[in-house]
Amino acid sequence: MAHLRKILFNLMAWSIVLAVAFPLFWMLVTSVKPQFELFRRPPTILPETWTFEHYWTLLADTNFLVYFRNSVILSSATTLLVVAVATLGAYSLVRFKYRGRESLAFLVLFTYLLPSVVLIIPLYLLLVQLGVSNTIFSLVIAYTTFALPYALWLLRSFMAGIPEDLESAALCDGATRMGAFRDIILPQLLPGIISTALFTFILSWNEYLYALVLVNSDSSRPLTTGVMNMLISSFNIEWSLLMAASVMMSVPLIIVFAFLQSYLTRGFGAGGVKG
Amino acid sequence: MSSSNTLLERRYAALGLMLIAPTVLVFCAVIIYPLVSAIYLSFFNIFTPTLEGEWVGLSNYTELLQTGQFWSALGNTLIWTIGTLSLQIIFGIAMALVLHQNIWFRSLARSLILFPYFISTVVAVLVWKWLFNDLYGIMNHLLISAGIIDFPMDFLGTMPNAMVSVILVGAWKYFPFVVIAVLARLQSIPDALYEAAKIDGAGPIARFFDVTLPQLREVLVVIILLRAIWDFKEFDLIFLLTGGGPINDTQTLPLLVYQEAFALNDMGRASAYAVVMMAIMLVFMIVYIRRTRSEGGS
Repeated sequence: MAHLRKILFNLMAWSIVLAVAFPLFWMLVTSVKPQFELFRRPPTILPETWTFEHYWTLLADTNFLVYFRNSVILSSATTLLVVAVATLGAYSLVRFKYRGRESLAFLVLFTYLLPSVVLIIPLYLLLVQLGVSNTIFSLVIAYTTFALPYALWLLRSFMAGIPEDLESAALCDGATRMGAFRDIILPQLLPGIISTALFTFILSWNEYLYALVLVNSDSSRPLTTGVMNMLISSFNIEWSLLMAASVMMSVPLIIVFAFLQSYLTRGFGAGGVKG
Repeated sequence: MSSSNTLLERRYAALGLMLIAPTVLVFCAVIIYPLVSAIYLSFFNIFTPTLEGEWVGLSNYTELLQTGQFWSALGNTLIWTIGTLSLQIIFGIAMALVLHQNIWFRSLARSLILFPYFISTVVAVLVWKWLFNDLYGIMNHLLISAGIIDFPMDFLGTMPNAMVSVILVGAWKYFPFVVIAVLARLQSIPDALYEAAKIDGAGPIARFFDVTLPQLREVLVVIILLRAIWDFKEFDLIFLLTGGGPINDTQTLPLLVYQEAFALNDMGRASAYAVVMMAIMLVFMIVYIRRTRSEGGS
């Protein structure tokens, strides 16, 4: 009896999970169906004919690879910049005492919650005046507005979790403060740095609004606005092609998911929801 | 001895300031300056293509409070936020309770649930637009074959369908956040509490209300505040799904700011909208910040 209930519960649980995951399954299935099969009534759940032609079209006949390269450059640059600045900043905020430290921490949290639409108009004006609008560089600058507070906030809680005794011991042994930071803090903080970097990368990879406003040339457009443009500008919408683009766009996330999931869940706990 | 101590302390403080300097610099350039500038701009009339404008004082504010569009956008924002947030919370808690049980392939189930949260909004929107497609979408097919509707439905082009669809897609995209946060808390509830409740004769439902829910209270308040702030300022999902339409029926405040600045070309008016929107959010932000700080900073 208990056995039967367990099976029923599992079936119920898994049908909910599969229902939630269904859109993603459907995205995969659509991307490998030939165009004519999409218009079949009733729709085929698994493709009758498998084809990778849409992936080839995407890579050969569209700007997808340019967008992909732009997104890789943009997200990596943002992540490197933000994590480097935030690691030093978080160390300072957690382990040093000076005036204004508390208000700074408050400011970080405040900006972490700030809506992008408030900053976007002045940022747009600023970047136009600097003459850097329409470049990947301008997006890196814009992305720091949300990525830096976020990374600082995450790293701050990771940093707070490192016991102070180790650092004090090193200082007693004659290490300099920066020496202790390099030899004691950094190795301990590494898992935290990795998950912060992953989250920052994902945030930048997925960002849409700044890319929409600041960049309107195909040579520096990232994936989000680039792929969306393929939908808007196409005369008749090729859904298989768009689904193939969506799959390709999610590939980096799938890789992160498959190999680095523990880092993701760790970051999740630290990100402001630590009850 | 004490003087050398203070010397060291002073040197440490200087080092601390040096380490925070890059952060402060970046903050001032890309956050503080634009923030102040947004408030300043809201007193001007600025034509976007030429970026020329003139001082108009408070008239942007007085006008926006009188126009119906602001109030309807505010109403839409509230409907969207409350609708999607409650679905996220209810569905998130339920899913967390399920995933807390020992089901088959639990970590795979967890990854699948988490996935919508991590994919790009662009991907989510493309997939849902395809699911919602009026001629070949699977949603219409399923609903018709289940006998719920007789004719294909227009999910995004009519009201109230558009608002309901946006709310549902928002819930699908963001409920995993609630799942993970609640799951983490569930795992730290001591088993002894459940044992004690069992001995007292409490059934599963009573145990949920008497043990689980009170234990979750703290974390739920934080989640609700955070998600309320994030949903309130959501732009991508609504903009990409409906663009604010049909007419302006799903236009929320962030979309209104965007429209005013980059389609109607009045950056001053747009800044005024943005500032008012921020003022409304400030209430939630302050509550959240005070909560986090009273817990000791982490």
